Amino acid sequence: MKGYRKWTKRAVSLGLAALMTLSMAGCSNGGGSNGGSSSGGDDDTLTISFGALDNVTKEQWETDFHQFFMDKFNIKWDFNYVEWASWDEKMRVWINSGDLPDVSIWNYNYTDAKNYAEQGLLYKFPDDWKERWPNAAMAYEASPLNTQLEERFGGTYVMLRPTYVYHAQTDPMVNQIGVIGIRKDWAEAVGFEIKDAYTVDEILEFARLIKEQDPGNLGSSLIPICFDPANSLTCFVSSNSRHSRIETAFYKEENGEYQWGPADESVLEALKLYQQAYREGLLDPEFYLLNDNDKDKFYINGTVAVYHMGGVAEFRQTVDTEMRNNLQLNSDDVVHEAILLGNDEKYHNIILGSNYWSSLIFSPNISDENFERIMDLIDWTCTEAGQIVCNMGIEGVDWEYQDGEAVSILPEDTSLLDKYGPRVESMYILEDDFAVVNPSIKEEYRNRMNSLAQLKLDYGQGEYDDIDWNQEFHVSRAKDRVQFDYGQEYANLIVQEGDLETNWKAWVDEKMPLVQEYLDELNSSY
Amino acid sequence: MRRLGKEIWKNRALYIMLLPGLVWFFIFAYMPMGGLTLAFKDFNASLGIWGSPWSGLDNFRDLFHDPAFLRSVWRTLAINIGKLIVSFPVPVALALLFNELRMRRYSKALQTVFTFPNFLSWVITSGIIINILSNSGLVNGLLQTMGFDIVNFLGSEKMFIPMLYLSEIWKTSGWSAIIYMASISGIDAEQYEAAQLDGASRFQMMMHITLPSIAPTIIVMFILASGNLMTSSFDQVFNLSNAATKNVAEVLDMYIYRITFQSSTDFSFSTAASLFRSVVNMILLLAADWGAKRMGGTGLFGGVQKGEGKREKRKARKAA
Repeated sequence: MKGYRKWTKRAVSLGLAALMTLSMAGCSNGGGSNGGSSSGGDDDTLTISFGALDNVTKEQWETDFHQFFMDKFNIKWDFNYVEWASWDEKMRVWINSGDLPDVSIWNYNYTDAKNYAEQGLLYKFPDDWKERWPNAAMAYEASPLNTQLEERFGGTYVMLRPTYVYHAQTDPMVNQIGVIGIRKDWAEAVGFEIKDAYTVDEILEFARLIKEQDPGNLGSSLIPICFDPANSLTCFVSSNSRHSRIETAFYKEENGEYQWGPADESVLEALKLYQQAYREGLLDPEFYLLNDNDKDKFYINGTVAVYHMGGVAEFRQTVDTEMRNNLQLNSDDVVHEAILLGNDEKYHNIILGSNYWSSLIFSPNISDENFERIMDLIDWTCTEAGQIVCNMGIEGVDWEYQDGEAVSILPEDTSLLDKYGPRVESMYILEDDFAVVNPSIKEEYRNRMNSLAQLKLDYGQGEYDDIDWNQEFHVSRAKDRVQFDYGQEYANLIVQEGDLETNWKAWVDEKMPLVQEYLDELNSSY
Repeated sequence: MRRLGKEIWKNRALYIMLLPGLVWFFIFAYMPMGGLTLAFKDFNASLGIWGSPWSGLDNFRDLFHDPAFLRSVWRTLAINIGKLIVSFPVPVALALLFNELRMRRYSKALQTVFTFPNFLSWVITSGIIINILSNSGLVNGLLQTMGFDIVNFLGSEKMFIPMLYLSEIWKTSGWSAIIYMASISGIDAEQYEAAQLDGASRFQMMMHITLPSIAPTIIVMFILASGNLMTSSFDQVFNLSNAATKNVAEVLDMYIYRITFQSSTDFSFSTAASLFRSVVNMILLLAADWGAKRMGGTGLFGGVQKGEGKREKRKARKAA
C-alpha cells in the first residue's frame, strides 16, 4: 500500500510537471503564424488567412454570398477579426513579429510603410503584377498616392484602398465628413428652419430649442447633440478652422514657414463653441466616453437631435433601416441631412486628393499560389461584374437584371449587411464608390448625398489646401513624437475646469517643445 | 557538490515540480533580458535585436527631452505612493478583522465575498464601475431620486485617482488578505491563552499579539510593493480612463503604451522607457529592503543586520 502511494505521488508530480511544461510550450509561438498558406481539403483549395476589421459570424460565413466567393476562387478563409480599438496595435505586433496573415487591412501611415518596406516586413509584389491583374491595377492607380509610394519604395508593398474608382460624388472630390443628420420632425415642432447647410452657431441654436421644448418628450434622456470626440473635432473645430485639418496638424504659411495648426487663434475660437455646447448641456454630457457609437443613440435609441452622419449614401440607408427596425419610424419623415459650415459660412475641409482609406498588405511569407489566388479575387472584384456582386449580392436572389439594368429585389427592410454580415471579399475598392450608383440604396439618398458633396465645394469657395507631399513623406522621430490624438486632446480641454483660453495656452505651451523641434526640421528641409 | 547532488536526488519529486517554474522564469524573465539592449540600439526588424546598429544613449536623451515622459514618471510615483498609503493597510486590517470573527461560517462567507472580485479582469471590473458611476448609472440614479444633482464621476480629474484607489481596494484587498490570514494562522495559540488569563481584551490581543506576529509578513509585502512603485496597474488605468481624465491618467505604463502603439513604431524608444522603469523599480526595492533591515526587520533578501550576529551568539551562550 505504501509503495503504491509513493508511486502514485511520483506519477502525479511527474504528470503535473509535464503538463505545466507542455502548457508553456503551447503558449510559445513555436514557429506558428497567422500566415496559414496551406492547402485545404481539396487538392486545389487554398486556405488563405485574412485579417480585417469586420466581425463575420460562423453562420454568416455559411451564407450564399461568402460561399459564392469560396467556390468561385476555390479558397477557404482563415479569418482573423481585428477589433477597431486595437487595430493599430495588433497590426504592429503581427508585422514586427512576422505573424502577419496572408492578407490584411492595415491603417496606412507613411513612416511605418517606409520602415516595413525597407525592412522586408511586407510582401513585395512581382514587377509584372499590373499586367497580370489589370483591373486591380486600374483601381490601384485611382489613388495617386499609390504611384508615389511605389516610386519611393522601388516597388509595390502597399495597396491603398481607393474610395472612388468608377464613380465620384464630385470633381474634385471632397471629404465625406461634415454631413450631419438632424431630427426633422423635432425641428418642425420647434419652428427651426430646414436648410441644406447650417453654421455651428445655428446648430447650437437648434439644440437650445430642442433642450427647452423637448419635442420628443424624452425628459432626462434627451441629448440635443451627440458627437464623440473624433466627430466633435470635425464638427466644431475643423468646420471653423482651416488650420485644424484631420490629415495633418501642420501647414505652410504664405511666407513659406511651417506652423502648427492647433496653436492658431481660429482653433481657440472653435474650441469656445465646442465648450459652449458642452457647458450648456447641448452636447452629450458624457461625449468623452463615446467611441464611434454616437450614431446608435440617434437611430437605435432615438434620443438625439443632431449627430454626425457622414456623406455616404449607404450611411443614410443604414439610418433608414435601423430606424424602421428599432424605432418603427420612417426615416424619410424624421431625418434631414445637411452640411456643417463654419460660422463664416464656409466649408473648411480639404479635397480628398489622395482618394484612399486604409490599405491592403500581404505577408512576406505568403506562398506564390496564395498571393496569386487573392489577386485573382481582387482583380475580379474590381470588374463591373465583381462590383455588382460585392455591393448587391447574388444574382437572382438579391438582384436581377431588368431592361439591362441591375435592380435590387431585396425586401425594403432588409439590407445586405443584415443578410450576409460584413462582405469582406469586397476588400479592395471601397463600397463608397458603388454607393454613388448602387440601386439597392434609395435613389433619393444617393442624389441627396451627391448634392451635399457638391454643396461642400460650393461653400468651400475654392479655399482648399492641397496635400503637402513633403510633409506626408517626411520621416523622423520628431514627427513621430507629435502624432497627438487631437480628438482626445480637445475633448480634454473642453471638460477641464477654469478658463478655456488659459487652459488652451497652457496646452500649447506644454506641447510646443516637441512641436518646435518638428517645425524646425520642416522649415530647414522644405 | 556530491552532497548537493544527493540532496537533490533525495527530494527529486519536489525538484521536478520546481522545474516548470524555473523553465518559465528562464524563458519569460531571463531570456528576454537580452532584448533590453534594444534601448541602446536603433531597432530594425529585418536585422533583429542583435544585428541592429547601436545608438548609444540617444533613446534616453530623447526620452528625457519629452515633457510627457517626465510628467508620467512623477504621476506614477505620486499615484503609487498614495496607493501604498491608502490601499496597503486595508488587507492587513481585513485579515485582522476576519481573524476576530467568531462564527467561522460567516467568516468564510465574507472571505469569499471579498476575494471574488480578484478573479474578475479589469475589463469587466471597469465595465461594472463605468455602468454604476455613469450619468445614467445606479449611483447618479439614487442621487437624483434623493433630489441631488448628477455628479460627473467618470469625467472628473479630481475623482479619477480616488476611483483608482477604491476600485483597487475593492478588487484586490480580499485576495491580498489571504497571505496575512495564513501568517495569523501560524501564531502560537498559547500566546492568546496566556493573554486571556492576564485579562487582555480582544483588541489588546489583536494589537499586541496578532499584529506584531505578522509584522515580518507585512514588511516583506511592503518591500515587494515598494519595488513596484514605478509600475501601475495598466489594465486598471487603461480601462477606467477616458479623454476627460487623460491628464491625470497618463502614468508611465500608459505613456509606454502610447509611444509603442499609438504613434509610429519605435521599439527602441519604448524599450528605453521600460528599462528606465525597471531600473528605478529595482532601486526602490533595494532601498525598501535596506530600510526594513535598518529598522530591525529581516528584509526581503534575509541576511543579518550589523551586530545582530553577535547578539544572537550572546543570547545562545546565555541560554546555554
